[in-house]
Formats: sequence, C-alpha cells, structure tokens
Amino acid sequence: MRVKIWGARGSVPSPGPETVRYGGNTSCVQVTLSDGTLLALDAGTGIRSMGLGLAEPARPVHILLTHLHMDHIQGLMFFGPAFDPTSEIVIWGPEAPDASLRDRIARYISAPLSPVEVRELPCHVSFNEAPHSEWKIGPATIRAASVTHRGPTLGYRITEGDVSLCYIPDHEPALGADLRDDGPEWISGFELARGATVLMHDGQYTSDEYSRRVGWGHSRLADALAFGRRVGAKRLVVFHHDPLHSDDFLDALQGDAVERWADLGGEPTSLEFAVERRELSVDRLPRSAASASATPEPRPARGGGAARGGGGSAPSRESSRSP
Amino acid sequence: MSARQRPVELILARSLLATLSTPGFLVDEDGIVVFFNDAASVLLGVRYEEVGRMGPEEWGTAFGPLDESGREIPLEELPLTIALRHGRPSHARLRIRSTQGVHNDIEAAAVPILTVQGTRGAMVFFWKVDEA
Ligand SMILES: [Zn+2]
Ligand SMILES: [Zn+2]
Repeated sequence: MRVKIWGARGSVPSPGPETVRYGGNTSCVQVTLSDGTLLALDAGTGIRSMGLGLAEPARPVHILLTHLHMDHIQGLMFFGPAFDPTSEIVIWGPEAPDASLRDRIARYISAPLSPVEVRELPCHVSFNEAPHSEWKIGPATIRAASVTHRGPTLGYRITEGDVSLCYIPDHEPALGADLRDDGPEWISGFELARGATVLMHDGQYTSDEYSRRVGWGHSRLADALAFGRRVGAKRLVVFHHDPLHSDDFLDALQGDAVERWADLGGEPTSLEFAVERRELSVDRLPRSAASASATPEPRPARGGGAARGGGGSAPSRESSRSP
Repeated sequence: MSARQRPVELILARSLLATLSTPGFLVDEDGIVVFFNDAASVLLGVRYEEVGRMGPEEWGTAFGPLDESGREIPLEELPLTIALRHGRPSHARLRIRSTQGVHNDIEAAAVPILTVQGTRGAMVFFWKVDEA
C-alpha cells in the first residue's frame, strides 16, 4: 500500500510563504493498493493536484469522504477526472438521517455555489453510504466507523494483507472520555484504530488553543499522542494542521511531540507530522520496532467513570505561544 | 472483560449525563445499565463506579422500581423497556428504593437513542417528586 499526502491542512486552505513546507491544501490522501486500485481519502483542495497527477483517469477512483465539511469536499469540483467522460468515480461517505449522500453533496455542487450540477458532471459517478460492516475495494478491506466530531463523521481503516492504514482526520476522542483511564469501549475510534500500521489522526490544536475550543470536534496534539499510544498504532501521522500554524511553529510543535511521544513509550521515528506531497509506504515494521510500539492496555476502573467535560488534565508541554 | 466498541452516540450521551445535574441513566441496546450519573446516585444511594454495569434483573432486585401501592413494576412496563423495544419515548411515575432502603417517588422519562443503525440504547431521566 502506497500513500501520498496531497493536503494535510484543516479547516480552510492556507497558502502563503509561511506554509510552503507543510502545505496549505486541505485534507486529501491518495492510497494506491497493490493492484493499482486508487483511493482518495477525502476531497479537500489537495485532490485537485492529485487529479492532475493521475496518468490513467479511466480506471475507477474511489473517494472515501469522512464527512462533508467544506475542507473535506471543496476539491471535488476541481478534480480533473470528474470532468472526463471516460472516467469513473465512486464516492463513499457517511449516512445521515435527513438526506442521501448524493443530495447532501449536491448542496455544494449546485447553484449558487457551483456552476455545474451533480447530474451534469461528465464522468460516471456513483454515491454510496458507507456500509455498517466491512466491504472490499480491490484487494483491500475497508471499515468505516462513526467518530466524535460535529455532524455525521466517519473514520476509515484500509487493510491489505497484514498492513492497515487508519485515517481519522477530524476527531475529538477526548470529548466524553478519559483517554488514559476509560475502558476502550468508551473511546471513540478505538476499535477502528487499534494496532493500525499507520494512523493518520487529527492533532490540530495546542493545549492552550484547545482549552478555548473544547467541543469543536478536533484534538489537541497531546490527545492525538495519547490516543495513538492507547490504540497501539505502530506509526502516528499528525494531521489536519491548524491554518494559523506556520511551518516554523509546526517544526517546534513536532519537536515537543517527539519528546512527549517518547515519554509515552513510543519510538521517536514512529511519529511524524503530515507534510503535503510526502509519500509513505505502509509496510510491516521490523520486529524490534513493532514490539517497541506495543502499548499495554491499562485496566479501567470498575464500571469506567465518565470523563467530566473535555478539558482533560494532560500536562501542557508544547508551546502555548500564539502561532 | 473487554466489551465491544460503543457507538459514538452512546459515548457522547454518557459524557452529557456525566456533566448534568439531572439524575440520568444510560442503557445499551440490550437494556444493560452502562452508566448513571452522580445526581442519580443520590437517589440510589450508591455510585455507578461501585456497582458497574447491571442487567434488568439485577437492577430490579436492587432498586425496585415499584408502583405507588408498592407492587414491583414488570420489566416490560418500565419506560426504559418501552423506549428500547418500541423505539419511542415513555414516561411513568415510579417509586425506587435506595440501597439504604429509602423510598423515593420519581418521574421517569426514557428517550431512545436512535442512530443510522437503529436504536442503540436509551437515556432515562429521573425527577424526584416532592410530596405535596
Ligand atoms: Zn476538517
Ligand atoms: Zn470537520
């Protein structure tokens, strides 16, 4: 499984001289399976560049949308294959009680927000609410699960052979749970992410920023690290960078994060911040690294007390200066 | 015991209940009490952390509930059972017995937790009725 990050920014595209290294495009990750099957995880503005880089637009591209916030669908209208009559696009996304996935996406791809309507897209496009049980795309098994964010939101796990990529770009698991002490059943996304070879996870805020944004649906970095260790992810890629976080600020944050990751028992090399255009190969880890990253599961208190509020009490080591 | 992953709706309901001062319970789709808050523990005389999850039988034995004449209310008539089995809100006046043997008259309102995968649990709120 090969992975290429086309956009790792959260909330809103943020191009400019201060974001050239980590990138300003919003969420999009290309996954190429062993037989060449192509997946796009989310369709933020990064998907435009992904489309430009595709050699054979005719093969189906599966777009797995975590949710329909603008930073995850804005690029749909600018994805080249959507305007190629020979290409086929299969869109997957969360179910909602009010309208079908197609109709909800059509709220964006329609006037006055868009010059074309969904029915006018030249490509062959289909829309599928993500099944409640695992399904196959090419040689991979896909699992989707609802996670804590604002509105119906999924995380995905893509498994091929014995490796798995778990993608949860917008997630606030600390809202409603104590990531250290609660039983795993009460931690949003736990089953989905458990033991993933690579976990791409929301780490948008510093602790200081988070204290003013509890309930907004995103994680502070400290919670992303705690979640990554708790689920025993072999490798953690911090994703959905805040638009206000400059390259230099993210460098500093990453330095602190590596230290804290090591304090939690993680291998320093198994933590990184997502960088636009970076390619990763999702492989089995060498034995030594794999055992070093296994996290013993702490025993929850009997009954497992519910967290009070979402503020948590993790130490705030990372810089709290304003970016 | 490693339980299965709870749906996010139950996770957030538990968090809401933990924050509220309205006495409240959370039951899963099998009718197991998987949480009650501190406000409810005042009426029951015991904290959730002390008893852990409880099935309907255990719950009935421990706390009643009884009707106004002191008769035990059958499981299928309880608001939480109606909410779970029929997927609709239900309300009743009941009497519950705390672990110290104190009886409290309460109003109980149960609301099913509907998800895209159907009813996955219910929230039950209690309100103590003061004798007029
Ligand atoms: Zn987002
Ligand atoms: Zn979002």
